[in-house]
Amino acid sequence: MGKYPRWPIHLALLAASFVMLVPFYWVLKTSISGENIFAYPPSIIPRDPNPFYYVDVWYAIPFARFFLNSVVVSVITIVANVVLNAMAGYSLTQRFLGKSAVLMLFLSCMMIPFQTTIIPAYLITGKLGLLDSYLGLALPMFSTIICIFVFKASFDAIPRSLIDAARIDGLSDWNIIWKVMMPLAKSAMATNVILSFIWSWNNFMWPLIATRSADMQTLPLGLARFLSYQEDSTGALYAFCIMVLAPGILLFLLAQREFVQGLTSGAAKG
Amino acid sequence: MRRPHFKLRKSTRKAVLIWSFLAPSLLIFFLYRILPLGWNVLLSFQAWSPMKPAVFIGLENYQEMLFEDEVFWQALWNTIGIIGSAPIGIAIALGLALLVNSDIRGRDIYRTLIFLSYPLMTVAVAIIWRWMFDERVGLINYVARMLDLVDKPIPFLNSFTWALPSVIAANIWQMLGFYMIIILTGLQNIPGNLYEAAAIDGANAFRRFLRITLPLLKPSIFLCFVIGMLNSVTSFDLVYVMTAGGPGHATEILVTYIYKLGFTQTRFDYAAAVTVVFFLLLLGVTFTANRLSGGNAGAVEID
Amino acid sequence: MDRRTVLKAGVATAGTLAMPAYLRAQSNKKLSILTWNIADQEALFKEEFADFQKANPGVEIEWLDKKGPDLPAFYQTQLVAGTAPDIVDLQGELWVEWAVGGALLDLTPYLKNEPDLIKLYNPDYMSTLAYDKKNYLLPFYISKTLLYYNKLMFKEAGLSGPPKSFDDIISFSQAMAKGEKTGFITLNFDWLYWPLMKMNGIELLSPDLKKPAFNTPEAVAVLDRLAKATESGAINKIAWTGRWVEPNGAFAGGNVGMLHAHSAAYFFVKGQGRWINQETLGAIQTPGGWSTPTNHGFAISKTSKNPDLAFALIKHMTSIKWATRLAEIRRVLTANIEADKAGLAKVEAEDPLAHAVLQTQLEQTDKLTGNWPLPNDAQVKDAFWPEIQNAVLGRKDAKTALADAERAVARVMRRS
Repeated sequence: MGKYPRWPIHLALLAASFVMLVPFYWVLKTSISGENIFAYPPSIIPRDPNPFYYVDVWYAIPFARFFLNSVVVSVITIVANVVLNAMAGYSLTQRFLGKSAVLMLFLSCMMIPFQTTIIPAYLITGKLGLLDSYLGLALPMFSTIICIFVFKASFDAIPRSLIDAARIDGLSDWNIIWKVMMPLAKSAMATNVILSFIWSWNNFMWPLIATRSADMQTLPLGLARFLSYQEDSTGALYAFCIMVLAPGILLFLLAQREFVQGLTSGAAKG
Repeated sequence: MRRPHFKLRKSTRKAVLIWSFLAPSLLIFFLYRILPLGWNVLLSFQAWSPMKPAVFIGLENYQEMLFEDEVFWQALWNTIGIIGSAPIGIAIALGLALLVNSDIRGRDIYRTLIFLSYPLMTVAVAIIWRWMFDERVGLINYVARMLDLVDKPIPFLNSFTWALPSVIAANIWQMLGFYMIIILTGLQNIPGNLYEAAAIDGANAFRRFLRITLPLLKPSIFLCFVIGMLNSVTSFDLVYVMTAGGPGHATEILVTYIYKLGFTQTRFDYAAAVTVVFFLLLLGVTFTANRLSGGNAGAVEID
Repeated sequence: MDRRTVLKAGVATAGTLAMPAYLRAQSNKKLSILTWNIADQEALFKEEFADFQKANPGVEIEWLDKKGPDLPAFYQTQLVAGTAPDIVDLQGELWVEWAVGGALLDLTPYLKNEPDLIKLYNPDYMSTLAYDKKNYLLPFYISKTLLYYNKLMFKEAGLSGPPKSFDDIISFSQAMAKGEKTGFITLNFDWLYWPLMKMNGIELLSPDLKKPAFNTPEAVAVLDRLAKATESGAINKIAWTGRWVEPNGAFAGGNVGMLHAHSAAYFFVKGQGRWINQETLGAIQTPGGWSTPTNHGFAISKTSKNPDLAFALIKHMTSIKWATRLAEIRRVLTANIEADKAGLAKVEAEDPLAHAVLQTQLEQTDKLTGNWPLPNDAQVKDAFWPEIQNAVLGRKDAKTALADAERAVARVMRRS
């Protein structure tokens, strides 16, 4: 790497980070401000900060239960995703008859937006007897095509020689995936975990349709309580946003530090 | 330790293995994507309401959509606009990824900060940006007025000209981190020795970028484009909460239109027809993109 | 971790996680009721249900509440699957569509059996809940449009009193429009703005409700005046582009002279507008006396397994005792005559301004408009409103807009 000035890079990245963070700050400030949030001009620093909105949220909905539900469903989704997607991604690195058909099929599946599948998905899940259950909530997202491709791209980049060596050693394909390729595809696994977590955690429409009893609802559904009657966005709405976002962000921060190791070691092995 | 007995059996066993690895994923997609699509296709040729039996009406739904429905064309136009905005986001993300990937202190922090927009509920993103664009107390209007750029607040989400760009801006903001991570993953996978070899050969940074980085990023960029496009055009939550398709139908996209047709107007049959057309549109764009990036989902062999 | 262990573990986990959260007890007496965005009344409902269960032991009541836009999606999915809630609280004209589609139970036989029941309710509101001479709903709570006005702005502009006609509305708005101040805002979702048309004698459809009837020279003139007033700032543009928060919020901000909205808006506006009190806010019937109702009523799904029990429950919830409680707590009117009397009395003592607002809801109930029993109401709205918007926002001239709207509406009517 040659010598080049670092500060322009820092400047650009700082600007980008600022743009990304400002909306968060704005919502955070609104959620703790004690004054009329609709008054103009809006204050940059919250006047009269107090946590009353957060208290509102905590008592208004069974936050802890919803949180637990979201966690369970997300964990199921993550585990299923990593397993299924790695398997499918591996298959796509091999040559086989019908491969391009499968590829086209996957790509086409991506183009079916969820809103158009609501009723059939509900009926199918109903037939499987999985409505209003954790498994039923997680099932439609057990495998995602994007993550399959992430694994595929990552596996593609692993030198053939390594795989051939493993084959010669007599490892079965299953072991090749888990013992040889996955350690080298840590970044892909990290991406899978993070993405499937995000999609599952944030899923709103499906839990809305697929749950009926109040104690199976996931966190996003609590939102409906605060886009409350009359659509009055009070500070409680923004407090709720923060409370929903916080676990996701925290988990991401924790997970990403772990996988940074994997990323750097994976790149070094390249 | 398994040893193959016959060459023939080995290749069949191999095929079985591959298909069994694919099977679970295929099953999920079959149940939750393909079957519903089939339901939609069938329904598009019928007249149906939840309590009455279906009646076959051939192409009537399609005729209505293509020849009589102005909202459909508006939604189509808006959808295409959103598709076209994906490259902007990807370009910015590419720049950010390169910056983050460079040899500076604190790159992990920057990476985390920039990615933070993605792990959010899209509904929350919509609420946040609706608040940012608010005409009275939104930050954007506040800054614009402080800097004397405008003397009256701009009704971003209520204006026929500003509504769609505002939604697109919110969408790009949300996706930036995501694109960046995908591209970063791709960048990390480029073996360092390739760069070293090129540097020894005398190639400068720009040429190294063009000849090594870009081509090897093709799978990642292709992935970004397809995901980005699909995410944007299916960003139902974002549009619905920010503007509900309004004002008028200025931010109506095909997905929100389909939803409204089905659940507000109870015209599931007509909505199914629009779904089919939407699906074909996306199929077309994706396969064009696939062709342009060299086929095979842009996969590249490194040896 | 070898494959077999993984598989075994997977199957075991799947088994436990697949168990539904509530075991489907084959209880014959289980009712489910779906309400529309009224989760804040949880305590009241729990009391009502407990009271009902005392009189009907062994009955389980499952209460669901969904926000407006989510409710139709939820209900229709349930309907297709055959598990629709027994009772559903519906707003506006959505019920007509569903009644015609065969989703709702005709309540007329029940009402015929109990002739005293129907006397409990205000007949004008009750008539809005019937289609094709069949009753499908019992009223839950009601509201209709009225005119709020900012007395401070009126005084400032030298206006002695509230407007008494459409011309007044236009000229008063003009007088008050200065700088950031505007004269008039109306809500525009559903058909809430229709009184503005009706007061000028404009009809939407022919009497048989089969053909558009609004493309008349009078309508063109009215639309033109509205457009010009919007352009000059007399009418705030948000009237035509905003949904709920923006128009009400603008009025609450104190810079708008008049607000044409329904009674529910009062609480929102009062919450945000620090300037609002009895001296500064006026509430009167819209000139001409016409108003558009936004009603909530209870309907019973045709697929209900316990229709008699369901009817008993909605009768219970709309009875004098419980309707009164609702009126008192939530400051709404229920169309239950006695309950509303009691509710109004309580409000009068506590909040005279709210009382004035609610009083308008019970007056001139014979002049309800904007609530045609159309099974394709949503489609008609979708065909009509964008053109009106085009005209008042100056994107099309009134004549063209109305002609286009006529074509679009005719197309919709032809299809049904």
